Amino acid sequence: MTKIFLWLFLTVLFIASPFFGAVSLDVNEVFQSTSLHSDIFYSLRLPRLFFGFFAGIILALSGLLFQTLFRNPLMTPYTLGISSGAVLGAGIAIKLGLIGVVFGLSLVSIFGFVGAILTVFLLLYLSQFLKSSHHESLLLLGIALSLFYTSLLMVVFYLGDTIQNDMLLRFTMGSLSIIGWQSPILFALISIVLVFSIYLYRYELELLNVSEETSKLKGLNTKKTTILLLVISSFSIGFLVSVSGPIGFIGLVVPHIVTKLYPTTLRNRIFKTAIFGGLFLVACDTVTRVIQTQSELPIGIITALIGGPFFIYLIISRSKGV
Amino acid sequence: MIEFSNFSCSFNNKYILKDIDLQIKDHIVILGSNGSGKSTMVKSVCNLVSYEGKILLDSKNLTEYEQKELAKKVVYIPTKLEIHDEFITVGEFVLLGRFPHKKSFFDYSKDDYEIVYKNLEFLNLTHLKNQPIKSLSSGEQQLIQIAQALTQQTKTIVFDEPTANLDPKNTLLISSHIKELKKSHNILVITHDLEFASSLNMDAVFVKNGSINLYKNNIDFKTLVQEYD
Repeated sequence: MTKIFLWLFLTVLFIASPFFGAVSLDVNEVFQSTSLHSDIFYSLRLPRLFFGFFAGIILALSGLLFQTLFRNPLMTPYTLGISSGAVLGAGIAIKLGLIGVVFGLSLVSIFGFVGAILTVFLLLYLSQFLKSSHHESLLLLGIALSLFYTSLLMVVFYLGDTIQNDMLLRFTMGSLSIIGWQSPILFALISIVLVFSIYLYRYELELLNVSEETSKLKGLNTKKTTILLLVISSFSIGFLVSVSGPIGFIGLVVPHIVTKLYPTTLRNRIFKTAIFGGLFLVACDTVTRVIQTQSELPIGIITALIGGPFFIYLIISRSKGV
Repeated sequence: MIEFSNFSCSFNNKYILKDIDLQIKDHIVILGSNGSGKSTMVKSVCNLVSYEGKILLDSKNLTEYEQKELAKKVVYIPTKLEIHDEFITVGEFVLLGRFPHKKSFFDYSKDDYEIVYKNLEFLNLTHLKNQPIKSLSSGEQQLIQIAQALTQQTKTIVFDEPTANLDPKNTLLISSHIKELKKSHNILVITHDLEFASSLNMDAVFVKNGSINLYKNNIDFKTLVQEYD
């Protein structure tokens, strides 16, 4: 019952979402092609709705993937410092005044993407020096990297002028605010690739979720599979964060809620996690637009407000449970 | 057949076994105290740990096996099942034994499921099929690991201290299952439970101070105790 209500609630919110915002849209006017409302609806609200949906899919699935590959519920691209890497990359681009566009992508985005990917490879490289069974150390490594990036970002802030700093500050808060259909289409494609790869490897992931030893004993090349899936998901996340800025905790919260709702083996939760992630992020985004301040509240703030306490809850319940 | 030649392995940069030569034709029980290296020795047959020297499995060097190919030949049953997945059921877990036989990216076939049901029935576990593994006792978990091993359809089954966490009743049960499996499989058992070892009627190898000592022909309990001291 709770399940049906929750899905229904999120779906209704999804449909209603584009009508909320700084300008409340009138349903009748939206369908008159010449009106201003129609323009806002089709070139701002709808693209944003789908961008949010696909961003949610990527964030939730990447979270699920990281948690499975490392068998640790606290692992996400966000907690491992991959998002912070993107922010630092973007920050450097903004500071250097690189505001051009290459292949339809802004230089800020490209730098953000490079920051995220470099962080993944740095983590993979450093993880060689850890004992393979000690994924907690990898988490600490990620946190240490995040802190290091934050201090570098402070240097960038210190050197920047007011306009640059304002741009950078807004980027670090995360936003789904976009114009036009380019981003939704790009991220729809990325989501499809991610969902499809995870579906292809559903049985491998099921094995990895049992234990590394079992995986090897059943003939799985654990290292190859782990690195392949990590790279695919990190590229998706890298692309996303470079456009939206960091949106934390979705990857942590959503897989956990879906697991609570559907306590079954991993392969039965892949699609549910994806769709729930999409709807959940749209719901969060709708909240940012309903709470009217001078301008709308950045999405990263809302997800962090939900995710922070949730993170603490997870840590406490874990140390109690095991 | 498994052949160790010039086999050495180390722990914390110290050799625990050095230059071992051993041929295992069918069944063997490996005895030795904790930390003697008996576990490492069999884990190396499944490519779980690194070693020096050479291991031949059916006359082919172990390093030439693909991990999947190896999983069709040997299965290793750890003392205690380590499992992170909280929700995986007995049926789903036993089905994982079909992984090495499954075509990549495809679902498990009807035959795979039938093999699972057959083995669950063989071990009287059918009633547990839909239970999460984590909710079961260590005796039941040991039996389920055996079901999974049988589902993997390998020639060789390795038991690593199968009775370490079991009460006397379950120990007897496991012992009788192993004796039954001797007819169809090659069985390697690691243990330091001497009574259990002598009940299995197998050749025995003692691992002691970095070397081994082989006893042929169903060593009796008394000799086992003497050797162990």
